Amino acid sequence: MEDYFSYTAKLFNPDEASQKPEALKGIRVLDFSHVIFGPIAARLLADYGAEVIKLELPFYGDLWRPATYWGKYWKHSNPIWHNITKNKYFLSVNLQLKQSKELIYKMAEEADVVIENFAPGTADAWGIGYEKISQINPKIVFLSCSTYGQFGPMRYFPGWDLLAQGASGVLTLNGYPDTDIYYKLPDYVGDFVPGNFGALAILMALYHRKKTGKGQYIDMAQTEGLMRLLYHYTYHSVTKEAIGRTGNTDPTMMPASIFKTADDKFLALACATADQFKNFAGAIGKAEWATDPRFASTLERLKPENAKALTAMAVDWVKSQSCADIVKLADEKGFPAAEVADDYSIAYDEWRRKRGSVVLFKDDVYGNLVIAGPSAQLSGTPSRTKWLARPLGYHNRLVLKKFLGMSEEEIQDLEKKKVIGTFDDRPGLKPPVYYNLSEDPIYNYGKEVRK
Amino acid sequence: MSPKEEIYTRHAAKGSDRGKILAEMMNAEGKPEVLDDILVLDVSSANFAGIICASFLAEFGAEVIKIEPADGDPARQITPFGVTVQGVGIPFMFEGRNKRYMTLDIKNNPEDRKVFAKLAKKAAVVIESFAPGEMDGWGIGYRQLSVDNPGLVYIALSAYGQYTDKAKESANMPDTDITSQAGSGLPAQMGGTPNEPEPKNWPLRGGMWAGWYVSGLSAALGGTVALIHRQNTGQGQMVDVAGMDAYSSMVGMPATIGFTWEKARPRIGVLDFILYPYGHWKCKDGFVAIAAPRDHDFRALLKILGLWEQEDDWRYSSDRIPDILEQALHLHKIIEEKTLQFTSDELVKMALNYSKRSARSKWRGGGVPIVMKLMTPEEAMKNKQWQIRKAFQEVEDEKLGKYTISANFVKMSESPPRVKWVSSEIGKDNEYISKKYLND
Repeated sequence: MEDYFSYTAKLFNPDEASQKPEALKGIRVLDFSHVIFGPIAARLLADYGAEVIKLELPFYGDLWRPATYWGKYWKHSNPIWHNITKNKYFLSVNLQLKQSKELIYKMAEEADVVIENFAPGTADAWGIGYEKISQINPKIVFLSCSTYGQFGPMRYFPGWDLLAQGASGVLTLNGYPDTDIYYKLPDYVGDFVPGNFGALAILMALYHRKKTGKGQYIDMAQTEGLMRLLYHYTYHSVTKEAIGRTGNTDPTMMPASIFKTADDKFLALACATADQFKNFAGAIGKAEWATDPRFASTLERLKPENAKALTAMAVDWVKSQSCADIVKLADEKGFPAAEVADDYSIAYDEWRRKRGSVVLFKDDVYGNLVIAGPSAQLSGTPSRTKWLARPLGYHNRLVLKKFLGMSEEEIQDLEKKKVIGTFDDRPGLKPPVYYNLSEDPIYNYGKEVRK
Repeated sequence: MSPKEEIYTRHAAKGSDRGKILAEMMNAEGKPEVLDDILVLDVSSANFAGIICASFLAEFGAEVIKIEPADGDPARQITPFGVTVQGVGIPFMFEGRNKRYMTLDIKNNPEDRKVFAKLAKKAAVVIESFAPGEMDGWGIGYRQLSVDNPGLVYIALSAYGQYTDKAKESANMPDTDITSQAGSGLPAQMGGTPNEPEPKNWPLRGGMWAGWYVSGLSAALGGTVALIHRQNTGQGQMVDVAGMDAYSSMVGMPATIGFTWEKARPRIGVLDFILYPYGHWKCKDGFVAIAAPRDHDFRALLKILGLWEQEDDWRYSSDRIPDILEQALHLHKIIEEKTLQFTSDELVKMALNYSKRSARSKWRGGGVPIVMKLMTPEEAMKNKQWQIRKAFQEVEDEKLGKYTISANFVKMSESPPRVKWVSSEIGKDNEYISKKYLND
């Protein structure tokens, strides 16, 4: 029989991914959302082949376009926004005008999914909510994203990832006990996780629609998404106590902490089961730990007094070893250990590039950029990156001509009436300074382009 | 539309059916279930990412069979401080949603593998977390099962994935939450600033299972994409989730920042890289979370806190990005001096009243500063909002008694997810399963 890893290497070969079928081909998504929560749900669908048309206001655009880490731009774009909005079509329409709404209604006739994340009620008040769109197209799957949900007394509160972390209890779990400092989870994960939940709900609705022909309305509250991740509520209902903050130690496994090694690196090491603990104890020459009555059984090991003693012993051992040696030992003997990865190591680790979880992407407009691959690799219909984010209104012509069958004259008329528009000189909205848009066949879709 | 809703939405919808549409979202009972034609076999072992993925599919209506040896999945003992109810750990109880329990020892017993293979012929989804290649070596991996069942969606969870040289070299390494967090870069962005004393300035783990839940959610999402492809074409496939990159791939920032900055970000404590103010502050009776990052939100916050004299200080009014840490921390202190003078309720009310006035004024420059009382999970459970939305559900296990879970994580008008029952008993459904699936 062929070696397993040579079999899987062929099954998942990243070089062939772009030729494989796309699971969501033919699904059209109207993405009215902004910032991260809604856009990430739309992007996940685009990654699997859906046509996602992102709507933005002319000369203003998504609030997140200029929102970049420490104000650092990359080729006049927000580097992290590429990951949030890749593979989409960028259409810039002035929602305040009646004619714009007619455009949207026309697109809604052929659309399968709509995504919005305005304050609850706003989309309806503007005439682009579920009520209106489902009259035009009863088979529509419509996702409304918000912090607290579309109904309930808190619905009218606006929110950010921070508020969802604060309202669910997530924020108060991070940090050291007996201090007055909490740390929020980084990287707006309070938007990304609920965004993934939103995409999951859309996929389920599409699956259901295929069986029954029925569309539906989806109310995704990001706080409830985060609450789904906490067994802490059950712990409280059973014990009447709170888990609270436990610093760098995970109270569900033992040992399970972030340690410092002899060469001043940070390392996570854990033993979730009796077997893993036996492997660990044997590997470090402390086989007797595995028979010590305090540590032999998993539940004994987890008791706070035993856990404390064992953690102290593990701290001492890790302190005496280099990080690389521990990880090598863990690989050989079968216990979990990992160096704390940072941005640089994640961008440059060879195995991530080979796996396709980090990708050096060559883009027609922006050139080379390292971006994240999917967090789940599919052998048959893989997620893929086709293009990065684009300047505001970049696909106006393509969308209106290809998807709505409009003529160049009609489009120029819309431009004159300021129904559609593009970018101004602000970074985040405009193309890179070296890039000549007049020669771009997609920006000028359907027009003669002089090269 | 209530007057409060008007504050933020600014436009009243007239003659709307929205209330009716929403009222119908409040209940799941009696509505169809999306995956009622899907059989899922979960043989994941000591891995909650697998269990969580199986739960999501079960909540959407799949028949999920949790398969474990007679002494139980070791995951049953992965529980805070060793707390169990009759030997069942808290996280296992929490995820014991709508599942069937069957005993098979596929690790050690070749006969049981045959039973598993027979079940797998009828299954749409298999979820496993053994060492990459182990199931294949037993003759029940994707390669073998897909011969008889080409529509099978096979979800594998591991530390480094199912392919690449690295995956082969590290195949023995089990996947856990904390190593997944560390390997995919979350702790690098949490914790105190470099000048704080050790260990407060070390990378800090997320205080919940940020690794396992991200992996489990990614697996469910990838698996559902695969189910849609199966629905369209009849073709199955393999879905591979690696704990060591699940988080960094979901959020995407680390890879792109590592490349464009050519270095890693430092840890900046309680601050944020993009938004300010965006964090939590001490007040008279606890903590409040404050988000007022846009310029007009920030100015509104200065007004309500009586800090307007800071407005013409360029360091704060136009350059609040904390790349100069001392500067940002100084502003943090200035705000804290004020928040300490009020209770959380007072601060929330001040922000609300301001927003009300600003939304009603023709001049919309007023901004919307958001202030919220910071809640622990235990406080969140008492919040009326979640009671009305049924975000928490009291459930009763035949053996373990009553307990509370968070449920109904998304509301859907036609085919919502729901928790129908909880159970955890080993081998409880052996008979049911053999009758239903193994009789021919």
